[in-house]
Amino acid sequence: MIAYIARRMVTAVFMLLAIAFVTITLFFGASKDPARAMCGKPCPPETRAKVSAYMQTDQSVVWQYTEFVKGLFVGRTYGEGARQVHCHAPCFGYSFPNRSDVTTLIAERLPVTLSLAFGAAVLCLVVGIGLGALSAIRKGGIVDRFSTGFAMFGLSVPTFLVGLLVVQVFGFMLNALPYSGFVSFSESPTDWAWHLIGPWMVLSFILAASYIRVARTQLLNELSADHLVAMTARGASTRQVNRHAVRGVMVPVVAMFALDVTALLGGSVIAERVFSLHGLGDLLLSGVNESDLSIVVGVTLFSAFLIIVGNLIVDLLMPLLDPRIRRA
Amino acid sequence: MRDPVLQVEDLSVSFTSGGVTTDVVRDLSMRLDGGRTLAVVGESGSGKTITGRAIMRLLPRGASARGRIVAAGREMLSADERELRRARGSDVAMVFQDSMSALSPYLDIGAHIAQAVRLHDPSVTRRAARARAVEMLDRVGIPEPADAVRRFPHEFSGGMRQRAVIAMALVNRPALLIADEPTTALDVTVQAQILALLRELQQEYGMAMLLISHDFGVVASAADDVLVLYAGRQAEYGSLRDIFEQPAHPYTTGLRAATPRLDARLDSGGKRTRLRAIPGAPTSLRDAGPGCAFAPRCGLADQVGERCVVEVPLPTVRPTNEDGGLHLAACHLDRLPALQEVAR
Ligand SMILES: Nc1ncnc2c1ncn2[C@@H]1O[C@H](COP(=O)(O)OP(=O)(O)OP(=O)(O)O)[C@@H](O)[C@H]1O
Ligand code: SF4
Ligand SMILES: [Mg+2]
Repeated sequence: MIAYIARRMVTAVFMLLAIAFVTITLFFGASKDPARAMCGKPCPPETRAKVSAYMQTDQSVVWQYTEFVKGLFVGRTYGEGARQVHCHAPCFGYSFPNRSDVTTLIAERLPVTLSLAFGAAVLCLVVGIGLGALSAIRKGGIVDRFSTGFAMFGLSVPTFLVGLLVVQVFGFMLNALPYSGFVSFSESPTDWAWHLIGPWMVLSFILAASYIRVARTQLLNELSADHLVAMTARGASTRQVNRHAVRGVMVPVVAMFALDVTALLGGSVIAERVFSLHGLGDLLLSGVNESDLSIVVGVTLFSAFLIIVGNLIVDLLMPLLDPRIRRA
Repeated sequence: MRDPVLQVEDLSVSFTSGGVTTDVVRDLSMRLDGGRTLAVVGESGSGKTITGRAIMRLLPRGASARGRIVAAGREMLSADERELRRARGSDVAMVFQDSMSALSPYLDIGAHIAQAVRLHDPSVTRRAARARAVEMLDRVGIPEPADAVRRFPHEFSGGMRQRAVIAMALVNRPALLIADEPTTALDVTVQAQILALLRELQQEYGMAMLLISHDFGVVASAADDVLVLYAGRQAEYGSLRDIFEQPAHPYTTGLRAATPRLDARLDSGGKRTRLRAIPGAPTSLRDAGPGCAFAPRCGLADQVGERCVVEVPLPTVRPTNEDGGLHLAACHLDRLPALQEVAR
């Protein structure tokens, strides 16, 4: 078991290093020099070379990669003398247009994204598993037909459409919900929730679809499984048997959930845009719009890190839930 | 005379799907005393498992049973949920056809057995129930039982798993054990060991056993009485001796011909042939015509003539070698010709 955990951790670290390399090569190696945007217009070649040297984008990709990885652990310094800036560890790069290190930018946006992810995840679990389980128990009933349609719709409709619909209907037409903005939890928990209900609905609507499907199929499989018939044969009541059936549903749901939550934590560009929330998705988008490569790379890697960590958690959790995986 | 542990009268089981109801088992009757073994034999799909599950009222969705079943003194078909729960796993226990899928992948072996104990006696502590599990695993011959209780089903070999499910079924000392193909998935030497174990425990506990099998060799080595099923109906019923020495149904004769040595004992390790040696495919009640379900494959149908295809043969009494034994066969022929003529 310990060997298994160690192996998983090592794999995760190597995955992270590989993803960082690919991301940096892709963005810093293949796109236009971000120094162009910084040096303004007109931009004489000498000035641009200076800016480029200052931003350290004139170096080879491999050099930039090693600097980046080093920066994650010990921080990184750009320029010298009066113009010197320091980016503390863990340094995800430095955004020159914003005069701030990317780590700080991410940290500023994190509460919004966290709130968004947390609520959406809870809502999606409750709705997804609830509807999925009800559909399985009364297969072919009204709930089943409704949630199958709901799941089909949720899987096929794009996020922005749902988002715009929610804003339109609840925000403008019914005037029931605020259609933009964010209030921090510490300021007012009720206002916090009130402002987030819209985006929570949108995100969980899209996500819940797959949970409905998985919970339904899995529970249907479980309910007719021989080991549950055998449990009845031992004298267990229907309730006891159903409770045990949940075990079988938990395994795939937990796996899916851990990955979805970490993906949500990486920011949801579309939902944030529609509801004018300034989370990580919005940060990424602004980085793209302003040709601020440091932000793009920093946020991308941060999201990738989260997903790798999510995978790691699933890998470590699964053997606890399903003994069959333990010996792998 | 003592009351039998199991008495089944005119049991029929039907499935309803899409508004259509079809019988998969029809008009079965049987009787089984404590300490005795009744074997139910028949090809795949003949309704063996469904019959076993009907006795425990454990039918799949869409199935319903008619008739009368008295098991360990309980009217199973009219019992309410509470009474059924009390009977299942304590008076009547079942060993399922596939030991792997009959065990929960999420529970260790000990938890399964402990569950069987505690469901019927909540006053037993978790610890005591686990201790019972260790004892029981030891009794069924699992080495290092204290260690084995903590293992999961997938960590057991087929033979060990079979021993474990037997331990689970017998932990509450049932009066009736329904063993659905308890040896089918195992290789021959392990089969013999498991059958020997079952017989030994049966003697010790004095329980009645309904042994479901499609292997005539297994039947020959373990049964007292035999019920031969064909397409959900009783083809022949009688003592092991009657079934072997004077079978009265052509299907039984076919089965017998497919078994190399009539007195083949399992312990001798002789290789046994399966029932498929009879030419033709088994019919199910679903697509059976008005006549005898076996008619399309019966070598004697021509001899009897039209009656075989227009009239369902009912079980009638046949000569017996046992004192007071009941020997029934559902065939229009009163007497079967010698074996060679039957096999075509
Ligand atoms: N859930 C179900 N729905 C509809 N029909 C079923 C169902 N389960 C079993 N049957 C039918 O009932 C008949 C008897 O099945 P059963 O499982 O009792 O056969 P069996 O004699 O145990 O065969 P095997 O040797 O393969 O285990 C079969 O013809 C099968 O098609
Ligand atoms: S009734 Fe006819 S077809 Fe059926 S077993 Fe007897 S002889 Fe064969
Ligand atoms: Mg069967």
